[in-house]
Amino acid sequence: MNHRKLSAVIAILVSAPLLAQSPAPDDWAQPRTPWGDPDLQGIWRYEATIPLERPDHLDGREFLTDEEVAEIQRVEGELAANRLAGLDGTEVGKRTVEESPIRGNEYNSFWQDHGRARQVFSQTSLIVDPPNGKLPYTEDAREAADRSVARYGVGPFESYLDPDTGERCLTDGATIMMWQGPNGGHNRIVQSPGYVTIVHEEYHDRRIIPVDGQPPRGVPQWLGDSVGRWEGDTLVVETTNFLDKTNYEWANIWSRASDALRLVERFERVDSDTMRYTMTIEDPKTFTRPWTAVIPIFRLSDDTHIFEYACHEGNYALSNMLSAGRADAEKQ
Amino acid sequence: MRSYLVIVLAGIGQLLAAAPVAAHHAFAAEFDAEQPVRLEGTVARMEWISPHSWLHLDVQKPDGTVERWMVEGGPPNALFRRGITQESLPVGTQVVIEGFRARDGSMRANGRDITLTDGSRPFVGPFGSGAPGDGPTR
Amino acid sequence: MGLRGTVYAALVVLGTHTSVLWGQSTDYAASRAADGQPDLNGIWQALNTANYDLQGHPARPAMALMPTPRSGEPPGTGRATPGALPAPAVRALGAVGGVPAGQGVVTGDEIPYQPWAAAQKQENAEHWLERDPEIKCFLPGVPRATYMPYPFQILQGTDKILIAYEFAGASRTIHMDEVGSSPSPTWMGWSRGRWEGETLVVDVTGFNGQTWFDRAGNFHSDALHVVERYTPISPNHLMYEATIEDPNVFTEAWEIRMPLYRRLESEKQLLEYECVEFVEQLMYGELGVIDPETGQRNE
Repeated sequence: MNHRKLSAVIAILVSAPLLAQSPAPDDWAQPRTPWGDPDLQGIWRYEATIPLERPDHLDGREFLTDEEVAEIQRVEGELAANRLAGLDGTEVGKRTVEESPIRGNEYNSFWQDHGRARQVFSQTSLIVDPPNGKLPYTEDAREAADRSVARYGVGPFESYLDPDTGERCLTDGATIMMWQGPNGGHNRIVQSPGYVTIVHEEYHDRRIIPVDGQPPRGVPQWLGDSVGRWEGDTLVVETTNFLDKTNYEWANIWSRASDALRLVERFERVDSDTMRYTMTIEDPKTFTRPWTAVIPIFRLSDDTHIFEYACHEGNYALSNMLSAGRADAEKQ
Repeated sequence: MRSYLVIVLAGIGQLLAAAPVAAHHAFAAEFDAEQPVRLEGTVARMEWISPHSWLHLDVQKPDGTVERWMVEGGPPNALFRRGITQESLPVGTQVVIEGFRARDGSMRANGRDITLTDGSRPFVGPFGSGAPGDGPTR
Repeated sequence: MGLRGTVYAALVVLGTHTSVLWGQSTDYAASRAADGQPDLNGIWQALNTANYDLQGHPARPAMALMPTPRSGEPPGTGRATPGALPAPAVRALGAVGGVPAGQGVVTGDEIPYQPWAAAQKQENAEHWLERDPEIKCFLPGVPRATYMPYPFQILQGTDKILIAYEFAGASRTIHMDEVGSSPSPTWMGWSRGRWEGETLVVDVTGFNGQTWFDRAGNFHSDALHVVERYTPISPNHLMYEATIEDPNVFTEAWEIRMPLYRRLESEKQLLEYECVEFVEQLMYGELGVIDPETGQRNE
């Protein structure tokens, strides 16, 4: 791809709305369902570069400068264009075996659909409260999180309990569902009278949220018990009654199902393609205080599909891991 | 082109954090980074499944025997959204796989790099091909 | 004309005015959804034994049975021989593991297998414990998801109708707008829907051939094509019909038919049946270095 075409591609692809200051264009009106509720239907996905926690070197800074934003946009645009141009060899977006035999892009990046550049915002972290942009872990949870990072790829993998809940094709939890990102992070929202339903592609997680004033089911679930209501044009969902699955390994300790977890979400469509998704997590078994993140979620075109994700049915990887574990044990 | 690709600004690289998800899966639990393999063969079967697709490859050995390898790829749904279908990698296509062998020594590998023998990479459509999800709605 | 002729003539007249479906007139018109189409929103459930066996069957002690020895002697001339016995793996369930009788949901009660496929079905039934995908919590496919003993919810959105099943958290999106075809085969198929009067007609293709129709070993290939019809027949009932075709397995198309009942509890919501977790010990317990059940090393 020649340089001129690449520039044009980047110009089309990359936009950087600043989420903190994104009033809707004057001519945009909130679409409504036939019965008058705000219409949030469609395929939504988190596609931005904002990390959950503020990186240490940005300590104290809530926002990037315009120059920093522009530079990230430039790099994102190039990475995206080069992925598509097939230049994703070891030089581009892929670490060498020496740099990263375990983590990172173990496969050609065409398996991820970053055909677009990721969106760049000036927020330095998704977490806006606590003000330092960091997860307020309890001591025990911090130890669990550190352990989880240390054992990733290292193991041991001696039984089906050693991989995390996602690798077991169970779930990665409700907290991460709306904004899980990359491939499989797509959500379809369907609205029918009395319900807002979210179908997540990965693990085909599903939440059917009553918005007609029904009380909670009172039965604990992996994805909890959700009750929704409209506050103006914002959908507010409170979810409690999670099963306690903290005995399992989780990819992210901050998304684990705990019976002390309470999740409050606000879904606000701010223009035709953007939702401001705010989540507040309270879990005294994991955090010393509640924390809140504000996440921009992008709406994809209506001909985008959520495809079947028959994870458990196709989970050769799990039995392969166990077979590898046995082979390693026999060698010792 | 390649000269643009180095991430230069200190600190900016860290801001390009991957979206917050653990990169399932634990590669090293299944494959051995110290056993790189290079396989040339023909596609016997392609399983377009999740969480990983699997390419069944017939590899002809110098002595004329054929080995059947199973090669792990990524999940296919991103490819589907770019217009790839099960017809895109027909039985008999000649491919080259570079990856790492399964830890248990079986004829399995992860397909870290999959190319067709003519050097082109499969599954990479032209940009702006009009495939669903190919660009923003505005 | 005589009485019989009069009755016959009356029936002919009736037939031309209303089609009669199991004694229910299909003149019933459901209330309207927001888009003016019939409103099928709600939580529904089948109440039959189709998931055990689509065909008529008597009750029996278990799904998995011991082979029944045959005595060559005329009955009563020798000592008693055993009846059907549960397989050892399920014996401890007692009457909880039994199979209730059912009248069957197949029109004509025959499934028109090709000869090789009839033998395959028999073999499936004999190896039910190892082969039924339901046991491993695999996605149940269509139409089986409809008549498993769990509720499901129909959610009519804009251009898409979602059917959410409780078993394994399975879902289907029924595309009411124009879409292409499935890029690759799936467990739950690829569903395209349209309205024909009061009936939601759903055309389902793109199956991977790995599901069963029931626990009796009835099966299909990846050439399966199902056409479903959901017709409201009262405020709280749908009539469900499915035509099943598979040129690799059957000699002709066949049909199943059953009522679906609305769950009327005032606070009814689907609950989770996330059974993957329930079957991990079964599927993986003995594969690793350690067996979680005992904490000991696997040999």
